[in-house]
Amino acid sequence: MIPGGKKEGPQNPQQADVSRRRFFTLMGLGIGWGGFVAALGGTGVGALRYMFPNVLYEPPTVFKIGKPEDYGIGVDNKLKKERQIWVVRNERGMYVLVAICRHLGCTPNWFDDQKRFRCPCHGSIYDVTGNVVGGPAPRTLWRAAISLDPVDGQIVVNFNQRQDPDPKGTDEGLMVEEAGREVPPFFLKI
Amino acid sequence: MNKLLDQIRENVTQTQVWKSIFRHGFPNNDANRALVMFSNVILHLHPVRVRRGALKIKFTWCLGGLTFFFFVMLAITGVFLMFYYVPDTRRAYNDIKDLGTVIYFGGLFRNLHRWSAHAMVFSVWMHMTRVFLTGSYKPPREFNWVVGVILLVVTLVMSWTGYLLPWDQLALWAVTVGSKMAEATPLVGNAGPFGPELGMTVNNDVRFVLLGGTVVGQSALLRFYVLHCLGLPLVMALFMAVHFWRIRKDGFSGPL
Amino acid sequence: MAEKETTLGTLPKRDGNSGGLAALIKKTAAEKMGPEDHVLVWPNLVYLELISMLVITAGLLFLSIISPAPLEELASSDTTPNPTKAPWYFLGLQELLVYFDPWLAGVVLPSLIIVGLVLLPYIDPNPRGKGYYTFSERKFAVLGFSFGLALWYILIVIGVWFRGLDWSWYWPWDNWHAHKPITGGLVDLEVILEKTLGLTQTPLVTLGRYAVTVANLLTWVFFLGYYAVGFGIPFLFMRKFYNSLGFVRYNLMMFLFLSMLGVPLKIFLRLLASIKYVLVTPWFKI
Repeated sequence: MIPGGKKEGPQNPQQADVSRRRFFTLMGLGIGWGGFVAALGGTGVGALRYMFPNVLYEPPTVFKIGKPEDYGIGVDNKLKKERQIWVVRNERGMYVLVAICRHLGCTPNWFDDQKRFRCPCHGSIYDVTGNVVGGPAPRTLWRAAISLDPVDGQIVVNFNQRQDPDPKGTDEGLMVEEAGREVPPFFLKI
Repeated sequence: MNKLLDQIRENVTQTQVWKSIFRHGFPNNDANRALVMFSNVILHLHPVRVRRGALKIKFTWCLGGLTFFFFVMLAITGVFLMFYYVPDTRRAYNDIKDLGTVIYFGGLFRNLHRWSAHAMVFSVWMHMTRVFLTGSYKPPREFNWVVGVILLVVTLVMSWTGYLLPWDQLALWAVTVGSKMAEATPLVGNAGPFGPELGMTVNNDVRFVLLGGTVVGQSALLRFYVLHCLGLPLVMALFMAVHFWRIRKDGFSGPL
Repeated sequence: MAEKETTLGTLPKRDGNSGGLAALIKKTAAEKMGPEDHVLVWPNLVYLELISMLVITAGLLFLSIISPAPLEELASSDTTPNPTKAPWYFLGLQELLVYFDPWLAGVVLPSLIIVGLVLLPYIDPNPRGKGYYTFSERKFAVLGFSFGLALWYILIVIGVWFRGLDWSWYWPWDNWHAHKPITGGLVDLEVILEKTLGLTQTPLVTLGRYAVTVANLLTWVFFLGYYAVGFGIPFLFMRKFYNSLGFVRYNLMMFLFLSMLGVPLKIFLRLLASIKYVLVTPWFKI
């Protein structure tokens, strides 16, 4: 086998030796450095993933808020403290607004005389449907999903399932057509 | 009497213990004064000699040195505060209250920590303004300016993380607002431009990793506590070391 | 450093310690001067530092005793204090959030400030004015930096002293306990253009969620035109300025400078013309 191998090789045995050595050196360097970078990168990705917790210990996001007849026409402020929501009822039915300002997450206040929600942090102003009528808020207030519990007839709010349509800029502010918003599961026809 | 004192001094300074600590005589001649400077780890931040102009404060206004002093002050008072403070949402507020009401000098340490923090933000900003106005960032000191900018950012982030710890209304809302900004980061925040398109939700974006959850709660308090007391001070110390080292290597730009 | 201090006659010669490295280090102007210009750091400077530390410590103790740190009510996520103010050094940022969306005011603009500061030494090629206070030798640099500083401080001052309930504007002589009436709504620039020029609302093209109308296209022209004119004027009419910077420096510098000027511009548009956004896309609004 050895003579055959010699025949196939280049004419100058010295040169073949050098290029073979060079090949193995480069391969060794490639494997070495590649492995080093891969190990480092893997550790980095692992460290980053480590920072994302898999189990959360946070308050429940699905809760009951009583029966529809507990709420009259208009904005009900009483659950803001406990649940961070407003329950709003109009002639057609009711919906639940999430009491988190869409600008930077402060809790707005309801002013019954002005019929407006106003945020104390940066002055965003919303009307009763959640449309932005002033201030810096970029989107309309969220509406949380609501449904009726078939057993006890109470309203069930899913705080994390939220309606967030693209608003349209008009000369009165950022508006969303109300008909498109009054759909289940974000609206309860009564 | 004098003879006795001399004798005592002689006996102390000639011991093996004394000599192992102080490698030179009392700094009452130029040689020993120089040796003080480069045999002491803290003092050797300085050169042995400076130009006479360095004694005038109207060039630097001592702003860099003061910033360092405030940092040391914050580290010391911070360690004292850590003895009583527990980063638990049910305890934190009361611990801070206790500092001001039932612990001897607890209020003093907290106040010193707070005032030093305000002073540090102010002096670091002023220091940067001074360095700009004297053109001291020009070659060969460009990189040290960059290190200084990093130190400014770390200072501000440390102030911000420190604000959450008392767990009062200011704390909660300052961090709520700040973390909402993180949520609006382009590409990696769930409310930022192109964030939702890249699959960002409240459960996997940059705000989630910052707070360790979806609301400003216990995990956020713990994360901010660790960053404020350990993570960021380490980063700060590292960059401060580089900052001072470069000043010594490059020298002062002004008449110092 | 120690090796170079051997001019003090009393010190042992230790030139050999650096293996000749000390000789390679270029001497700075300070070191070329004779020892007669110099004083020993111990005791002259060290004592000065000790005294200033003592004075500052006394000042901090004094402040701590006369003005205790505030502690508000226990954190509760259902009530936001009205108004909510960040610590003073972040109030400039909070004020900026009134005029720009959070991604811009909270993330992009602060990042641009930091990037701009980092790049500063690399985009300022002027060799003069190093190591002394001067205005006449570096007018543009000092004016530009001062403009940014002034903007920042003005925003902080507004945030600290002129913002009250619901983050409305309050003068010092106003009643700070009464809510301000709601002022008129804000309108997007493209809506104003549509109304005043009578443009059609039907989109020219629709790119996914993005319906591009004539008015929308016009706002793009305004927005990009601002940068184009800003980049163009010095390039065409101030060749000396352009040549002193070179292509890369010029573009970096002008982008940062025009973005900085754009901030007060947008603030004025908001305050004078009640314009909410100058540019609207489904993904971002400016």
